[in-house]
Amino acid sequence: MNPVFTQGLLDVDFGLFFWILITFLLFLFLLTKFAWKPILNALGEREKAIRDSLEAAQKAKEEALLISRENEKTMKEIESISLKLRKEAIEEAEALRADRAEKSKAEAEKLIEQARSTIEQEKKKALLELREEVSKMAIEAASRILDEELDEERNRKIVDRYIKELS
Amino acid sequence: MKQFLRFLLLTLVLTTSLAVVSKADSGKENRIDLIGKVVDKYYLDFKPLATIELPRFIYDNGSFHFYRSTTSLLNQSEVFTDAAYIDAEPRRENGLIKPVSYQIVRLDGSSPGFDFSITAHLVYFWLAALVVMLLFFPLAIRYRKGIGRNSEPQGAFQNMFETLVIFIRDEIALQNIGQQKYMMFTPYLLTVFFLILTMNFFGLMPWGVSSTADITVTAVLALFTFAATQIFASKDHWKHVFWFPGVPVPIKFILMPVELIGLFTKPFALCIRLFANMASGKILILSILGTIFIFADLFGSGVAYGTSWFWVFLTLFIYLIKALVSFIQAYVFTILSALFIGMAVADHSDEHGH
Repeated sequence: MNPVFTQGLLDVDFGLFFWILITFLLFLFLLTKFAWKPILNALGEREKAIRDSLEAAQKAKEEALLISRENEKTMKEIESISLKLRKEAIEEAEALRADRAEKSKAEAEKLIEQARSTIEQEKKKALLELREEVSKMAIEAASRILDEELDEERNRKIVDRYIKELS
Repeated sequence: MKQFLRFLLLTLVLTTSLAVVSKADSGKENRIDLIGKVVDKYYLDFKPLATIELPRFIYDNGSFHFYRSTTSLLNQSEVFTDAAYIDAEPRRENGLIKPVSYQIVRLDGSSPGFDFSITAHLVYFWLAALVVMLLFFPLAIRYRKGIGRNSEPQGAFQNMFETLVIFIRDEIALQNIGQQKYMMFTPYLLTVFFLILTMNFFGLMPWGVSSTADITVTAVLALFTFAATQIFASKDHWKHVFWFPGVPVPIKFILMPVELIGLFTKPFALCIRLFANMASGKILILSILGTIFIFADLFGSGVAYGTSWFWVFLTLFIYLIKALVSFIQAYVFTILSALFIGMAVADHSDEHGH
């Protein structure tokens, strides 16, 4: 007795077809819901996180570069400013010194001038006093010599005239 | 010389077939039914350890009939019997009627309404799905916990399967479907890939049956791809089918039936390819091993023993090829599904001169 098989190799069994159809849908649903979705979401999230952090790192790098460049610029500016300031200060100090020296020189000159004029005045005064003294002494001498002959007033005028002529 | 060789080969083949036929005629029970080893059965075959009969569900004349096994059906049912027992005495074992053909018919010999019994291929399909779920549910839980989401994947298990998942997502789905819609079909492609792969691997195990070696199973899988291509097809897809753009009008009329047939040949090829590859592997292995016994018949057992090592090594080689084919066919089915879906959902509005 030869066994008769339900199917040939190429027969489609509709009972099996039905079962596979239903259960495949079920498995598709279950696997999608409990396996593929979480896995794919997690993978997507991870990739996004990696991409984002790479981008952020790139951005940060660019920013840092920008900042460092700015810093460099500021440093240079500050340096140039300080250089300028130093130069100005030196110049100012120089000017101040020159000014002061000039002033003190002028003051000294003024003092010398003052002294000189004082000396001149004193000299003049002294000369005047001397002249008066001399004229008095001369008159006295003359009056002693010419006592009676000439009155004092006239003599004095004469002596004054002489002295004036002398000086 | 060449002719002689050809003659020898011809004689060999002819005598082989004659020997097989004569063996069959002699009614000895030492023959192997090759096709019977590949087709679906209503029991799990663990011979010689055991055969586990599967439940029988039959819908007939408006009522459902459920039986724990074919044996219990034969012993309890008053409306059904084994097809082999219509005109023969039932075979009994320990007082129980044992099934022979496992094909259930009404007492008058006609087929019942709808037989949706559990079959071996269905069991292995479920087993494969169970294995896939047992692999990926814990993996998903790991990702839910944050391992692999906020950190790098940890451990060989996660790394290995993540690589496969990413490969399918990026190299199969993204490459063939395109940036806009690929995430919608990636779960389907992942399911198909891992299910087919696991089913294929079951065929490599001892007593294991590859459900993909059943044209019904591959037909359902191809049907899903077909449904996906038709349901999510873009307007352009239908335009390409019914009114091919960019060609003269008479050509459009010629192309229409071609494109219409093309709609169906694609999933059909998908179905046949997977089925044929998986079924042929098993048939090939059995055939090559069978050569030993054919040699024993033809030349005596001495020659059979002498050459057996060659056939065993060849079987081993084919087995390795089968392992490779398991991967390749799962990959091919998935990538072709992705390709067909990609072709159907593609929007050509931004392209010119197609």
